Amino acid sequence: MVQTLRRVLVALGAAGGVALVVRLRGTGGTPPRHGGWRELPASELE
Amino acid sequence: MRAALVGLGAVGMRAARHLLADPELESLLIVARDPRAVQRAEGFDDRVVLRPARHPRIPEGTDVVVVARPDDAAGVAAGAVRAGAHVVAAVDDPHQVRSLLELEATARAAGRTVAVGATMAPGLSCVLARFGAARLDTVQEVHVASFGTGGPTCARRHHAALSAVVTEWYDGAWRRRPGGSGRELVWFPEPVGGADCYRARLVDPLLVAPAFPGVRRVSARLAATRRDRLTATLPMLRPPHPEGTVGATRVELRGFKDGAAEAIVLGSVGRPALVAGTVAGVAATWAASGRLARAGAAGLAQLVEDPGPFLREVGARGIHLAVFEGLSPGEAAGVA
Repeated sequence: MVQTLRRVLVALGAAGGVALVVRLRGTGGTPPRHGGWRELPASELE
Repeated sequence: MRAALVGLGAVGMRAARHLLADPELESLLIVARDPRAVQRAEGFDDRVVLRPARHPRIPEGTDVVVVARPDDAAGVAAGAVRAGAHVVAAVDDPHQVRSLLELEATARAAGRTVAVGATMAPGLSCVLARFGAARLDTVQEVHVASFGTGGPTCARRHHAALSAVVTEWYDGAWRRRPGGSGRELVWFPEPVGGADCYRARLVDPLLVAPAFPGVRRVSARLAATRRDRLTATLPMLRPPHPEGTVGATRVELRGFKDGAAEAIVLGSVGRPALVAGTVAGVAATWAASGRLARAGAAGLAQLVEDPGPFLREVGARGIHLAVFEGLSPGEAAGVA
């Protein structure tokens, strides 16, 4: 009984750890490869 | 113009300064319940009347009321409409925004406008969307992303927004998604640059989608750090700063121009409280002078039919507006 409970807790802990790593690591994509920002002057705000 | 301002936090203070810079302003009634706000307003000129009160009573003859406090915005707005004033609500709380939109019939019957969500995002994002839409024949998608927070109330709301259920417009219907999901690297104008953004309980879709009939997708994302995501379901671990520093907005529109697919990306950079206060101030002067599109309750994407002059006024206050150019065809520039 105790051994089963221990296994369940270890499994839950491992799953939680994996979920945490998956949730927090990595990025959401890559920067744009072309182009860039240009300020909009008042003359273009027609 | 006789104006009233309810709430004198970070955004309210900026809105007050904007209104006081207008030579057309005859008087400004400021209703604030926080005694510290009264101290902050002592430097204002003699056009200002300060009234420390919890429940504002808007006097007859007021042209426009700016609501810049987080609670009971709809109640204040309803009272203002009854008093014959236009209303500009600088709020972004979803419950408040829905309640404000429910004033549509009341405001229409009274011939008054209730401008809902006049902040950075929503608000400036809505006007940028309207501006970008004029460059397209048809708008298929609008994706908004924002970075940064204004005052403490804004910071607390953004914290909670990452763990709440999100509503976004997807293929012509409202879809519910979990907050904190849908990570996208969004490229904001400098000095912000790239930031990971996530779905959050924001009201931009609610205010933008009705402005573009036939639009297929409208989404909103919020920039967040890994710590923000990890702690989103918990109370804030430390009190928020009195005011955030740099903020940015990015609005991407996809659609068709002359039969070809086209993407337009617009952005802004500025302190979020300054941007929100300025947008609320400009919207207030427009409402008072009858320049907003119609009576009723709606977001600025519907109410600002001529976004260029609106953006010019916002830009004149030191808020940088930008356009992303040189996007290669098919390249995913940001949120999708």
